Amino acid sequence: MIANQIALVKREIWEHRSIWITPAAVAFVVTFIAIAIVIMVAAFGEAINPEIERIADATLPDAVRRAALAVFLLVNTSVFMMAMWFLMIFYCLDSLYAERKDKSILFWRSLPITDAETVVSKLLTAVLAIPVATMAGVIVSHLLNLVIMSVWLGTEGINPFRFIWGAVPLFDTWAAVFVFLLAVPIWFAPLLGWFLFISAWAKRGPFLRAILPIAILPILEYIIFRSWNLGIEILKRLSWESMPIFNIFEFAERFDEDDLHDIFAEQTSLLSLLDIPQFLGSFQVWAGLVVCGLFITAAIYMRRYRDES
Amino acid sequence: MTSLVSASNVSKHFGEVRAVDDVSFEIEKGKIMGLFGPNGAGKTTLLKAVLGLTDCKGRLSVLGLDPFKQRKELMQNICFIADVAVLPGWINVTRLLDFMEWTHPNFSRAQAEQFLSRTNVRPDARVRELSKGMIAQLHLSIIMSIDAKLLVLDEPTLGLDPIFRKDFYSNLLNDYFDGERTILITTHQVEEIENILTDIMFINDGRLLLDTAMESLPDTFVELITSGEDAEKARQLNPIFERDVFGKKVMTFEGVSREQLEGLGEMHTPSVVDLFVAKVKGAAA
Repeated sequence: MIANQIALVKREIWEHRSIWITPAAVAFVVTFIAIAIVIMVAAFGEAINPEIERIADATLPDAVRRAALAVFLLVNTSVFMMAMWFLMIFYCLDSLYAERKDKSILFWRSLPITDAETVVSKLLTAVLAIPVATMAGVIVSHLLNLVIMSVWLGTEGINPFRFIWGAVPLFDTWAAVFVFLLAVPIWFAPLLGWFLFISAWAKRGPFLRAILPIAILPILEYIIFRSWNLGIEILKRLSWESMPIFNIFEFAERFDEDDLHDIFAEQTSLLSLLDIPQFLGSFQVWAGLVVCGLFITAAIYMRRYRDES
Repeated sequence: MTSLVSASNVSKHFGEVRAVDDVSFEIEKGKIMGLFGPNGAGKTTLLKAVLGLTDCKGRLSVLGLDPFKQRKELMQNICFIADVAVLPGWINVTRLLDFMEWTHPNFSRAQAEQFLSRTNVRPDARVRELSKGMIAQLHLSIIMSIDAKLLVLDEPTLGLDPIFRKDFYSNLLNDYFDGERTILITTHQVEEIENILTDIMFINDGRLLLDTAMESLPDTFVELITSGEDAEKARQLNPIFERDVFGKKVMTFEGVSREQLEGLGEMHTPSVVDLFVAKVKGAAA
């Protein structure tokens, strides 16, 4: 069972190369932008990135520098989170649809693997493999960006070992980012389940078939009941801001750079901003998982009973 | 003899369409069974039921298992090729073998590599880069490396040139079939496989028209080439089918002894194709 799951998830990574190409491409672009900024700063002598200015300012206390570095890493990470969001959606929509489209489903089903094992492996790929690949991209990107910044500070006569590597809360940030990247798909689970079900069900155009009900049902609710409950619930699930994982009130609303500096100045550990027990004990999380389970069951049923000929 | 496949009163209806209609048969161990039928006759639906890919009414047992409910257990001892094009295009040969090795307890990688070494299929090639014939060779190499009790082939050589088709079947016979294994095969290219079959079944409109051993064909069926008054006399013996060939009548008889037809014309055992046409058209007449 576990050996089969490992084999099946590996197969997904082989087939859907976007799982590792996307984070790699984001890391490349983010690094490229960082290099471009350094070159522009060097050429025009103007500091375009306020973080770098703060980091390089020897007059500021270490806590501020540490906060500035944490914010710098977080802003960098947010690009990966956005990419992961799209990656999960498109992966789930494609995973059970592609095998029917190219008819390889008949080959896969000739092997001693149940439909349940296959569908579960697709879910595991979305909730585990994609965050792990994204995390790898984040780590590479962080290190590259810190190296570029170090080189630049070095040429300015500033000691990067003290101002960057001695100050950056690297492991705390990585731990927090990784926890968060794993929590996002759990929060996202009802939608991932829905996308997987549409992928197993749609004869063509899974994207439209997945999106239209999400758009139309809230409008119907408004027309009939004059309420937006469903729409609000869907919007909450689509964004990470409503995730019950932050222990600072309205952390998400304060997610702009100035406020972040204040937050980090008060609380130095990013990881301590995340309340994992609160998240795992949340009713909303478990309700979402139940909905996801229903859609996954339907997807398994679809794959098992649908006649492909 | 033990029955590997045992079907009694198996039916599968799609709304009003009776794809498989009250079919009963047995396939014994060590047989090579050919299943023939016109397009839309229900062959593929019947095979799908045997493979547990679709549920059906009636009692169907394959290797003593319920194919639909116990598909995973079944697939450890059964393998099938549904069509040459179903191997996923994105995978490369080495990874395909890796995956088979990880997930199939009865798969022998060494065996598959040995089969593949005789072909032009490179280990690093992706399936989509291979020709149709090479994909079929790859698929057959994989399937033949599974120590399975039953092999099901549904139009395995569709779209392949005659040389590939001939090689395909000779590989199957020489490298796979050992008298212990059992093969169930469907194809429209009946002539190419009739000499390897031990048994045949005909299906039309979801119903079984014939289920017999090849060796009993000469006892049951006679084809008579005749003309004139002899043709009239022969017609009294109720041929199941009659056709014109170059001004002569060719009649197919079922259950009529050769002694009864003696002197009425030239007699021989019908080929499977001619018998197939006679049974299908005769049943429709």
